[in-house]
Amino acid sequence: MNISTWLIRREFWENRAIWLIPAVFGGLLILAALFGQVSIPRLTSPEQMHEAAAAFQVIVGAMFYVVMSVYATWYLLDCLYADRRDRSILFWKSLPISDVKTVLIKLLVGMVLIPLVYFAAADATALIAAFILSIRARASLGSALWQADAWWQIQVLWVYCVITTALWYLPIAGWLMLVSAWAKRAVMLWAILPPLVLYILERVFFGTQVIGHVINRRVMGLLAVAFNGGNHVWTQGSGVVDNSGVPSSVWHLINPSGFFTSAETWIGVAVGVVLIVAAIQLRMRRSETY
Amino acid sequence: MALLIEARDLTKKYGAHVALDRANLNVEAGRIVGLIGPNGAGKTSALRAILGLTNYEGHLTVLGREPFRERTALMNECCFIADVAVLPSWLRVDQAIDFVAGVHPRFRRDRALGFLAKTQITGKRRMRELSKGMKTQVHLALTMAIDAKLLVLDEPTLGLDILARRAFYDALVNDYMDESRTILITTHQVEEVENLLTDIIFIDKGRIALDTSLEDVATRFSAVAVTGDRLEAARAEKPFYERHILGKVVLYFENADAGKLAAFGELHTPSVSDLFVAKLSGGAA
Repeated sequence: MNISTWLIRREFWENRAIWLIPAVFGGLLILAALFGQVSIPRLTSPEQMHEAAAAFQVIVGAMFYVVMSVYATWYLLDCLYADRRDRSILFWKSLPISDVKTVLIKLLVGMVLIPLVYFAAADATALIAAFILSIRARASLGSALWQADAWWQIQVLWVYCVITTALWYLPIAGWLMLVSAWAKRAVMLWAILPPLVLYILERVFFGTQVIGHVINRRVMGLLAVAFNGGNHVWTQGSGVVDNSGVPSSVWHLINPSGFFTSAETWIGVAVGVVLIVAAIQLRMRRSETY
Repeated sequence: MALLIEARDLTKKYGAHVALDRANLNVEAGRIVGLIGPNGAGKTSALRAILGLTNYEGHLTVLGREPFRERTALMNECCFIADVAVLPSWLRVDQAIDFVAGVHPRFRRDRALGFLAKTQITGKRRMRELSKGMKTQVHLALTMAIDAKLLVLDEPTLGLDILARRAFYDALVNDYMDESRTILITTHQVEEVENLLTDIIFIDKGRIALDTSLEDVATRFSAVAVTGDRLEAARAEKPFYERHILGKVVLYFENADAGKLAAFGELHTPSVSDLFVAKLSGGAA
């Protein structure tokens, strides 16, 4: 194994929450499927069945995505701070591992590997829960939740989400890592306070809200940039939307050409790269929290 | 002999505070060097610079490399223990060994395991479950299993009881040291290390106050205990420090004529701790 692989293993040793949280969360959802109340209207048409299967998987996936976002944020904010706080950085720095590699591996874990773990957990949970529900509500559901096509589409959606999330949120990840590499204490406060102060100062002195809009757009804007929604593609009768107004296939839902050609995407990536380079520079110079 | 560490005008500032002020120092291969100074003298800053943990001004090479720019390469040949309490609490002993074995080309697993076999420590224990003494043993096992040319120890026994301290230094001298290695130790407890050092560097207020081998100390420095009437005559020989104990006055001389001094009283070579106090208390008498 090479050094990068060892650094990844070390992150999983240190942060057992990476897999414990999705495991516990998945377990709770499965318990809910086992013992919760199930009232499902009888599904008649194949379209309804397909839709129910897709909706079920999307809902499970969305729940995992929300939990993942919270955990990944915390992970990135803590990853360059924890070993300075307990001074174990002096042990890690006594080994022939470059700071560039250390920081980039932590970024990879936070932005790609943690989402992939949640992806796997969401898949496993959805399959087990679908199995349980199909048995408990076999009268109304039958084999409705077993739609190979819907399942494949969800995999495409997840992969697309992981890639777009990693790129879109790179500036936020960079900011969190910069704070993590810099702050002497209270990383959470330092992550929130500077943008908040800038926002307030701008409002008070200029009466404008540019900073607020930029931040809001970055936090909330991924859906609008990476997915088709609310515009002409979703209108009924265009052939790509079924009668309920939901895109009939994942290929109509995702908007890779829009996402990858958007200036917003690449400006964000550029800002993210600058912040990460700054975090690496700080990592080279700061060894302790005092 | 080749210089392992060479610093010229090494300077480190933290804002307005000057931690290292144009320090010059040389460390030759095969020595055990004590970097000794009071708290806040710049010991830690010097070590940080030598280990590439911080940037600095001035010229500094360690094993022929510039530490800050080439820390990664330097750590292949140099290892350090900066205080014993720095192994992360979540790390298991077997994970620590696996990790270091995985990332360090000069690590020898059998040596680490051999060292740990002599202790009560088992592989599945986490650092947080170990006592401070045990953590030191793990850290030592990891470090001593690395074939490094330079070992740097920063206050290695801080917070350890006397038994653990003694065991630490015994292991260092008996199991680790040989002529191919060089050890640099910082401490403010001089008594503890003076018997194992071959060289001493005194550092005070960011400057190097003395850099010498212990062989040279014997020829260069002398102390003489003087009583009463001979005191003024002895003072004329320009001692750099005097100490009053039990009615006697001990005068410390540098590069003085031993034959002349012997006439004033009992002549001896000062211990490292006495020399340290004498040198750093500042100012001639």
